[in-house]
Amino acid sequence: MPTDESKHRAGSRWTPAVLLAVAVILLAIGSWYGLFVAPPEHYMGEVQRIMYVHVPTAWSAMLLFTFAFGCALVYLFRGGWSWDSRMEGAIEVGVVYAALLCIQGAIWAKPTWGVWWDWDPRLTTTAVMLFAFLGILALRRFVDDPVKRAVWSSVATIIAYVDVPIVYFSVKWWNSLHQQQSSPSTVSEAFYLPLRLNAFGMLFLAIALVLLRARLSALRLRSELAPPLPEPGAMLAATPGGSE
Amino acid sequence: MSGMIEGGWSFVWAAYGITALILVVYTISLIRRISVEQRIVDRSGAGEDEVMR
Repeated sequence: MPTDESKHRAGSRWTPAVLLAVAVILLAIGSWYGLFVAPPEHYMGEVQRIMYVHVPTAWSAMLLFTFAFGCALVYLFRGGWSWDSRMEGAIEVGVVYAALLCIQGAIWAKPTWGVWWDWDPRLTTTAVMLFAFLGILALRRFVDDPVKRAVWSSVATIIAYVDVPIVYFSVKWWNSLHQQQSSPSTVSEAFYLPLRLNAFGMLFLAIALVLLRARLSALRLRSELAPPLPEPGAMLAATPGGSE
Repeated sequence: MSGMIEGGWSFVWAAYGITALILVVYTISLIRRISVEQRIVDRSGAGEDEVMR
């Protein structure tokens, strides 16, 4: 008979698969609508269709780093290895999303601004965010002690997170080349549906990937915290009839 | 002249294509890494309770 705990574990193993499936469906419908049904924008024409993937990626990246920040605080104040695993998961997936964000932004910038990159406040603070969290992943690779690794990377996450609100408000605080934030309330109704579908698709995908990545961190931690297996010779010696 | 950027589909396809490619490759790499790590843990017989809480 399966116990309640084993049923819970089996259920939690299916959660990422279900979220992945829902994300793929939402992203497929949202992207199809954004690419083939929504009209071109008045000034940017077809290039504006990049918005349906770029803006949801940006929202999810910031949410991922916010979640990592929350995990870091919980770990420092309450402890618990699962929070360390979740933090690592959120940072790694956040770095993937932030890298995608920069690539999509560069592809959008070329036909609209005439350059792939500009040291504009929004782009610069986003690059700082990407490399700050990438640095935390590197820090975790170099520290062998799990406790030190968890504490140091939690503190580093809190420090790195200072940049995330700056990224968000940069277009409001400075006269940025980058346009102001887009949201369903600030865009035409014709653009509303694909933006929202892809936003939820990217979010569900991010949650699924964080769950999977946190599982990987937990497995690695189990290997690290497990006592080393005795040498074959030592096992033989410990056996009552074994040789000296 | 309408003031609208003409063409640009190649940029749109590049943005969607690179996004899809990176997300698919990352998801597959994650699933493979979990499977490799799970085999290591199963071989070592490490307990689960402590780190999953």
